[in-house]
Amino acid sequence: MTSNIGIIIRREYLERVSKKSFIITTLFMPVFMLLLSAAPALIMSLNTSGSKNIMVIDESGKILPQLENDETVRFTSTALPLDSLMGREDLDGILVIDKQIISKPEMLRLYTRDAASTELTGNIENQVERIVERERIESYNIADLSKILEEVKVNVTLPTSRITDENEATESSTILSTVMGMVMTFILYMFLMMYGQMVMTSIIEEKNNRVLEIMVSSVKPSHLMMGKIIGVGLVAVTQVILWGLLLSIISSFVMPAILPDTMATDIAAYNAGNLDAASAANNIEMVQMFSALGSIGYIIGLFGYMLLFLIGGFLFYAAINAAFGSAVDNIQDAGQLQMFVVLPIIIGLVFGISVVNDPSSPLAIWMSFIPFTSPMVMMTRIPFGIPVWEIIVSLVILYASFIATVWIAAKIYRVGIFMYGKKPNLKELIRWARYK
Amino acid sequence: MELLKVENVSKHYSGHTALDDVSLTVKEGSIYGLLGPNGAGKTTLIRIINHITAPDKGRVIFDGHQLTEKDVTSIGYLPEERGLYKKMKVGEQAVFFARLKGLSRRDAVNGLKEWFEKFDILPWWDKKVEELSKGMAQKVQFIVTVLHHPKLLIFDEPFSGFDPINAELLKNEILNLKQQGATIIFSTHNMGSVEVLCDDITLINQSHNILSGSVEDVRRTHSYGRYRISFDGDENRLLEALGQHVESYKFIPADIRGKSLSLKLRDENDMREIISIANDTVLITALNREVPSMDEIFIQTVKTYNAEK
Repeated sequence: MTSNIGIIIRREYLERVSKKSFIITTLFMPVFMLLLSAAPALIMSLNTSGSKNIMVIDESGKILPQLENDETVRFTSTALPLDSLMGREDLDGILVIDKQIISKPEMLRLYTRDAASTELTGNIENQVERIVERERIESYNIADLSKILEEVKVNVTLPTSRITDENEATESSTILSTVMGMVMTFILYMFLMMYGQMVMTSIIEEKNNRVLEIMVSSVKPSHLMMGKIIGVGLVAVTQVILWGLLLSIISSFVMPAILPDTMATDIAAYNAGNLDAASAANNIEMVQMFSALGSIGYIIGLFGYMLLFLIGGFLFYAAINAAFGSAVDNIQDAGQLQMFVVLPIIIGLVFGISVVNDPSSPLAIWMSFIPFTSPMVMMTRIPFGIPVWEIIVSLVILYASFIATVWIAAKIYRVGIFMYGKKPNLKELIRWARYK
Repeated sequence: MELLKVENVSKHYSGHTALDDVSLTVKEGSIYGLLGPNGAGKTTLIRIINHITAPDKGRVIFDGHQLTEKDVTSIGYLPEERGLYKKMKVGEQAVFFARLKGLSRRDAVNGLKEWFEKFDILPWWDKKVEELSKGMAQKVQFIVTVLHHPKLLIFDEPFSGFDPINAELLKNEILNLKQQGATIIFSTHNMGSVEVLCDDITLINQSHNILSGSVEDVRRTHSYGRYRISFDGDENRLLEALGQHVESYKFIPADIRGKSLSLKLRDENDMREIISIANDTVLITALNREVPSMDEIFIQTVKTYNAEK
């Protein structure tokens, strides 16, 4: 009889994996995701609309000579009054600088015909700031003052180390933990929603076209349900693993090519343990992050945890989905019941994102033990490094709860698949679960 | 030798009773008709025999022992409402169902090819199910039901969706299976096919077994006191003369035999007396014992039962 579960798993798995839509999404999703993350840079580089022509009325006479032109903006001097320039459509903007600019740096204004881009205003602000600073320093008439000020400047970044269970310190990057946590929580959320829905719709479909009537004469309803849940679950695992492989292949070949040379040298120095924060060309946090991303062990460790929580969370929710699917005749009727599945998953996602600020708060710890929210919340917390016992307890609770939901779901399923016509509510489902 | 015994089975759902103390015995190698109006409890009984649901009370004895889950592989069930996976290929799907019944892949493929050939659907092996006509899908379902040579076959409305030619083909295959030793439970509303195919029947109405026995016995019992007198003369005078001997009657104005009265007598032993009374009143042209059709028996038994309730 147990071999029948195997036959069903095989059918459910092959049916989905051999679908064109599965192959396409599996292959193109990682490419799409990478493109999406690179999109802002791409758009920027495509969006240069030539250099802007800015006419400058500099009443102080100190700013204009020091303004530098570049490929995006060109400044030209003028003595004409503002009014006479307003009508000129060949200009991209008129910059008016008050003669008191050095003492009152807010006394300047840019007039433009189109909305001024942040790139342009940022450029002008930076330049004027620098020039005013320089002018002020020089006005003190102290020799080498600018050099002294330069030497006084400091820039502190706080590297963090986490004390492991073996009481050793390991380096950790807060930014990286946050990013990894968010990404994995979101992937988990997506999979729980998508594949949970898949279990439900496919049961409704089987019920609707009466295949179930034939199936139940050779398979126990509970076996049928388990076969479907496991089959669909394996599809999810296949997809995640394929994505992981594809992403790591892409990143190991593509990332070195994209990263600037200075970053590569810094990473090499960091990995060798002799990176000097002061001399590094890049922010130490960024160096840490890219270094970790390039470290296979770190990625595989996180990925392993994600799989464990993905499988546990999927099984837990799929059983509930299966029970609901068996109870209704069409997907529209399922809406109301589905709220009981969708809501906790969304709550889990929201909490998962918010615990980033304090991954060790009591709320975060409790949420990561409750099976409804634990997969998402745990996935945010794990990258920050939490005690292993917490992960184990969370997993044990999750898998034990899965056994409970499957047991109850099987009872509802057994009754539900023969119920046609009426739309049951939660109370009725609970009564079904009590039938002999 | 009986293959299946259902003993005092009851099944309640919240609010209603699907089966109330139902018993029946199916002889090995026979075709057993399970009859009854819609909603009488037939499907529930079939599901209990299939080990899909468990009875609240009573038990099911299959092949000499209490029915267990393992026996499901010795049963083939063709449900009334039946479907297939639409997106799957026909052959692949048939193999899938056969494997669920415990056949190895190779046995399944070999057996299926034979049946597909017989039913003229071999060219459809690699087509998707959604491309099949309803009749062809029904053929596939029938094949899947019988492929694993089950001892007990349960057909629920097997002929629905078939044209007369294919229905005939199916009927012959069912008789073939019986000849090869299979025991068949046959549930239908088509009483004509019951008369042709079934050895024994049970009529279930309002969750009770209200009539059981061999088709011959049932029909003979129901022919008790039923006669048809064809005559020349006045039917009202005849009825008046027969008076209290007649329990009920039906007047048939005129057919090939002339006009006749279909009579249900109170006591068959009064037959001699009745004939002489009739003979004195009208000219008798024919006198026959009437054997009711299963259709009539079905309607009459159910109506009588419901009226008494």
